[in-house]
Amino acid sequence: MTAATTGVVRTSRFDWAALVAAFAPFVVALIVGAILLAATGRNPLAVYGLMLREGFGGESRIAATLTAATPILFTAIATAISFRAGIFNVGVEGVFSLGGLAGAVAGFTLTALPSPLLILAELAVGALVGALWLAAPALLRARLEVDEVVSTLMLNFVAVNLTLYLVNGPFLAPGSANSATPMIAEAGWLPRIAPPSTLSLAFVMALVFLALYALWDRLTPLGFEARLNGLNPRFSRAIGIDAPRLILKVMIISGAIGGLAGSAHALGVTHRFVVGFSPGYGWTGLAVALMGRNSAIGMLLGAIVFGALASAGTTVQLFSDIPLEIVDVLQGVVTIFAVVRFGRLLRGRRAA
Amino acid sequence: MIDNVLAAAALLTTPILLAAIGGLINRLGGIVNLGLEGMMLTGAYVALAASSATQSWPVALLAALIAGGVVGYLFSLAVTRLQANEIVAGVGLNVATAGLIGFILKDYYHSSGTIRLPDVVMLPRIVIPGMAQIPIVGAILSGKDPLTWLSWALVPITAFVLSRTRAGLRLRAAGAAPEAARALGLDPLAIRDASTAVAGALAGLAGAQLSIGVVGVFSVGISGGRAFIALAAFYFGRNRPGLTAAGAALFGLFDAIQIYLQGRGVAPELMQMLPYIVVLVVLTAIGLAERRRRLLQGA
Repeated sequence: MTAATTGVVRTSRFDWAALVAAFAPFVVALIVGAILLAATGRNPLAVYGLMLREGFGGESRIAATLTAATPILFTAIATAISFRAGIFNVGVEGVFSLGGLAGAVAGFTLTALPSPLLILAELAVGALVGALWLAAPALLRARLEVDEVVSTLMLNFVAVNLTLYLVNGPFLAPGSANSATPMIAEAGWLPRIAPPSTLSLAFVMALVFLALYALWDRLTPLGFEARLNGLNPRFSRAIGIDAPRLILKVMIISGAIGGLAGSAHALGVTHRFVVGFSPGYGWTGLAVALMGRNSAIGMLLGAIVFGALASAGTTVQLFSDIPLEIVDVLQGVVTIFAVVRFGRLLRGRRAA
Repeated sequence: MIDNVLAAAALLTTPILLAAIGGLINRLGGIVNLGLEGMMLTGAYVALAASSATQSWPVALLAALIAGGVVGYLFSLAVTRLQANEIVAGVGLNVATAGLIGFILKDYYHSSGTIRLPDVVMLPRIVIPGMAQIPIVGAILSGKDPLTWLSWALVPITAFVLSRTRAGLRLRAAGAAPEAARALGLDPLAIRDASTAVAGALAGLAGAQLSIGVVGVFSVGISGGRAFIALAAFYFGRNRPGLTAAGAALFGLFDAIQIYLQGRGVAPELMQMLPYIVVLVVLTAIGLAERRRRLLQGA
């Protein structure tokens, strides 16, 4: 029985076992990191203490953590929607970059629009591009039974190279040395909600989408159909759920949110599209969705922890001789162990 | 010009082909391995360090092979014994290995990107007398390193082992029908782990070809997504060694053309998209053909 299975039977009770399981990967990562730090002559506890302070110590550090958590939370929601329906969509990484570029392009071209309209247009363009992008693998899966893992994976590489081409070619800022688009007009930036920190309205938007996701998941017919299809596709077909239509709807929503995530990141944080726009936000969001078992609260916690890792990592390197790469090691190990079940080791060998 | 591009293509194909064969074996055993990139990076670093330490390229290759194999085996244990999700665990492995190697580079070598080590012995170039004069064939075959020859030798060997030997049959059983394999007294998880170790070892060799076969330095970006092109090659080949090799060679050629065309008005990014688009086109074409077959049978 998976946590997802039991979740349908009793949606209202809090699943403590799932919470413990969700923290296991972090414990493993901290142990691996501690070995690395100790082997290179550092005190792991002191380093972790420093990272904890840099991640959560004080208003400005918390704001930095939440800023870093925002794109991860967004991509986790986008991914979880398709996971719920049993679609293993790994394409949010590519959609995030495409949405970011589309939002940025709207932001430096539609400058005649007044501020709120410009922001809406940028976000809408990002969402639209994302929705269209993931409609393609959805159609391939629904009509031709093309495995969505392969198609969305391949599309990620197409998307990344496409954005690289566009940002080095047609949308390159004139006279720019590094590969970046022109800046988005200031009227098109998402307002900051806790100046002087960079925390922007994007974080609030992510929370709103998280709440909408939770409602969709539990209260709407589409959410219910998705859950049924995810749990048992044969049963859901037997009771008359149109799987191809469901797949298409779910993937379009996933793509729209993934694209919106990218444009919100461009509007709120980078204010342009640059090479390296996504250091793997889509993949981190995927890990967070898996780790949080697609639950809203689990994804929020996961995104905040990953956000804290990212924000702490950048400043820890400034104040100590610890290479920034320690964060990659921790994050990578958490991702590897995202969904492992350590219970199996304790219960002895079981058939797989 | 054609000779130059083909000679480059042959060199660029080698790491893709090695990793693609590894990915193919792993996939037949039941695991889609997205962590090949991390195993390749590990092999590249270990080969350079071992070559510098021992001044022996065979030792360096052996070290890269073992390092890749060990990383692959550990990755496999997480997937088979702890039910880690193979896709996300592979991505995580790539992040973790890149982080670990980057950490070592900064902490031990005080370098933030590229390292050159003293006394590195590169892979030898095998020169067959008279070969270089033959048009086209000469460009492809002349002056290549042992790993390039090995990678092509592995294509028929893999095909033979998979289809004609007990080990190949057991591997395919473990991947396609683990329950049946268990009923026959096999241990499908152990077979699966072994296939991942082999994939890791081949990816390690692929990395060695990059660091001590071509450039003689190591940088954190040296694998540059080649394992993902290998992944595209094995999706292109759909479990067939010959087709997989054809895919690897095609994508190696794309890479060589892209390098040749740089600065000649063709954006490299558009060429780099091609392998993935080819895979999507192939999958779509297969899907369409199968749908038509289903419709004809239904009518």
